[in-house]
Amino acid sequence: MVMKSSVEDDDVGWGLGVPEKMRNNANWVDITHEFKGACKELNLGELLHDKFRFGLFEAMSAIEMMDPKMDAGMIGNQVNRKVLNFEQAVKDGAIRVRDLSLPELIGIMDTCFCCLITWLEGHSLAQTVFTCLYVHNPDLIEDPALKAFTLGILKVCDIAREKVNKAAVFEEEDFQAMTYGFKMANNVTDLRVTGMLKDVEDELQRKVKSTRSRQGEQRDPEVELEHQQCLALFSRIKFTRLLLTALIAFTKKETSSVSEAQKLMQQAADLLPALRSSIEHGIQSQNDTTKGDHPIMMGFEPLVNQRLLPPTFPRYAKIIKREEMINYFSKLIDRIKTVCEVINTTNLHGILDFFCEFSEQSPCVLSRSLLQTTFLIDNKKVFGTLPMQDMIKDALRYFVSPPVLSSKCCLYNNHQAKDYIDSFVAHCSRPFCSLIQIHGHNRARQRDKLGHILEEFATLQDEAEKVDAALHSLLMKLEPQRQHLACLGTWILYHNLRIMIQYLLSGFELELYSMHEYYYIYWYLSEFLYAWLMSTLSRADSSQLAEERLLEEQQKGRSSKKTKKKKKGQGARPLSREITMSQAYQNMCAGMYKTMIALDMDGKVRKPQFELDSEQVRYEHRFAPFNSVVTPPPVHYVQFKEMSDLKKYSPPPQSADLYMAASKHFQQAKLILENVPSPDPEVNRILKVAKPNIVVMKLLAGGHKKETKVLPEFDFSTHKYFPVVKII
Amino acid sequence: MRIRMTDGRTLVGLFLCTDRDCNVILGSAQEFLKSSDSFSQGEPRVLGLAMIPGHHVVSIEVESDMYLV
Repeated sequence: MVMKSSVEDDDVGWGLGVPEKMRNNANWVDITHEFKGACKELNLGELLHDKFRFGLFEAMSAIEMMDPKMDAGMIGNQVNRKVLNFEQAVKDGAIRVRDLSLPELIGIMDTCFCCLITWLEGHSLAQTVFTCLYVHNPDLIEDPALKAFTLGILKVCDIAREKVNKAAVFEEEDFQAMTYGFKMANNVTDLRVTGMLKDVEDELQRKVKSTRSRQGEQRDPEVELEHQQCLALFSRIKFTRLLLTALIAFTKKETSSVSEAQKLMQQAADLLPALRSSIEHGIQSQNDTTKGDHPIMMGFEPLVNQRLLPPTFPRYAKIIKREEMINYFSKLIDRIKTVCEVINTTNLHGILDFFCEFSEQSPCVLSRSLLQTTFLIDNKKVFGTLPMQDMIKDALRYFVSPPVLSSKCCLYNNHQAKDYIDSFVAHCSRPFCSLIQIHGHNRARQRDKLGHILEEFATLQDEAEKVDAALHSLLMKLEPQRQHLACLGTWILYHNLRIMIQYLLSGFELELYSMHEYYYIYWYLSEFLYAWLMSTLSRADSSQLAEERLLEEQQKGRSSKKTKKKKKGQGARPLSREITMSQAYQNMCAGMYKTMIALDMDGKVRKPQFELDSEQVRYEHRFAPFNSVVTPPPVHYVQFKEMSDLKKYSPPPQSADLYMAASKHFQQAKLILENVPSPDPEVNRILKVAKPNIVVMKLLAGGHKKETKVLPEFDFSTHKYFPVVKII
Repeated sequence: MRIRMTDGRTLVGLFLCTDRDCNVILGSAQEFLKSSDSFSQGEPRVLGLAMIPGHHVVSIEVESDMYLV
């Protein structure tokens, strides 16, 4: 490409006007003919360009006009209808603000609901809710039902947006927070809007009553239709009011309002069947919307905001269909009801588990945000009442019973000890709040962030060890029969291991690993991380037992009636379920690890074959986030190869031996899980994988289909971390 | 510089580059719908850097006090 720089002495004039000047009072001179003629004098590929303001970057980044992929303003001219905004449409008569029929109202509201849901699913307001002309200026609407409804929708959007922004657990793929300067009914209070909705509701309820069928009377089909339609409209208005009121409840600081929200959501759920059965009464769109095209109907103009969109290439929002709207609302309500349950858990570990479990169903951004803002109201206290530091101390007591936090220990009131522990707990606050926030992100982003937070936890680990040592030496002097060995360290280590395990397991869920990587992932989990976890949990358990025994001893001196003979294993130890589940997981991972090694021995694992391939590079990349962790120390590739080398056994095991070993691991997992009291869905999911795998491994050990060239399949549909191995 | 396109839209911006086929690149471009003389269309849309293919150029105008003899 040959570039000719611009003529210097003409620079002064060329294109240097301020854009504001280029308005209707400027004197424009047509130079089309001269310009085009001059252009013809250029050679092919030769450019005439501004000396300073034009380079390769500009050449590359200019958007091309009249190309539908890049020119968002073009589409307005391609459709054969006039694109009018709200005021223009009213003037034109294309849209009515009064005397709307019941079917029109129902149809408009249903389409609005669909737009609302599409927005909540991550599209821009400009291409969803604000394609409804009515919401641009509800003050112009005279029909009371539609006016109340549009104000209600605007308030719902406003509160939802506020919550999502505050919770900050979204990324650009989750949610578009831009409001484009649209007015969100700020001139009306929330209370006024719910009041307006209630008034309309009451009016409609009167109509419904007056048109209902009476015993012994002949049913007039027209009256029946009116009755159905009134009922349909009534249900929609009430649904909107309940949804709005529930969201308003979430904005309040008291936890009692969370229970109120839950009740309101249940009432809204009760209305869904009525909504579903009356969709047909609403006016339908004039175009075919089966492929997701925006409905064209009165009150909606999909291109009304086209000019507000950024000049990047235009993205079109596929509005969901009315039939799907009910299903979506149903699931959304379920999620919100689940979110309300969190206030019933008051210990930190329970809350963490709640967040993890909730996240596993990949919930929507709104429910995730509501959960975050319910947990940490204004980011200060848990549920608005409990300081984070107290929760951390409680978690420590529950998990590892450190003497320093026991009121029966002399350290409890020791100034220096208190300083140490208080400072440590203060430092724990932020990482744990971050951890809970991480669990509010979508599954993909979560994995990434979990990897990063290991650095903070490594620092905490360091501090924990130092504080433990200091407290231990203090305790030795004051109460020699007690120990403060690695209490805090054990607790931080437990969380470290949890994060590392979650990080690795989520790779299966997100389908990040290739088959030939499974073996070292499962190895790291079973032989290393779960092994550490088991020993950490049993150490915590012993620490608890030691404290309990000490308390018993102290109580013995007082009243002999109080002391009961504590039998071994009386009642479930607080950590027993977790220990059991970890054992089961460890066995599943061990089974998978040995399965993969055996399959590899039999040539059933496809490996990359390119010249510069290096398994070490892949391995180091997969475990890179662990390098910042001190305890447990990361296992580097060479070390891993040594530790997993089968040749250290004589005779070295054959594939058949490994299949049998894998089968035994799955069998062990099955036994452990079948003995779990009150099994939850997770236990059953793992059993559904363990059982077939036991059989498959035994078959493979017997040489089943050894000669086949067809590779085995791994079915993660039952459990996202452990596949059912299928031999074709 | 002000360029009218074949679909009736008008772009106003700083002239930056052109070539033999009269493809024009404007900087700080603003898009006006239909007629840019009357303001019935409201606010212009800000585009930034925009390239108009030569075959879509209907007319090119510059402000008269900058017209060079």
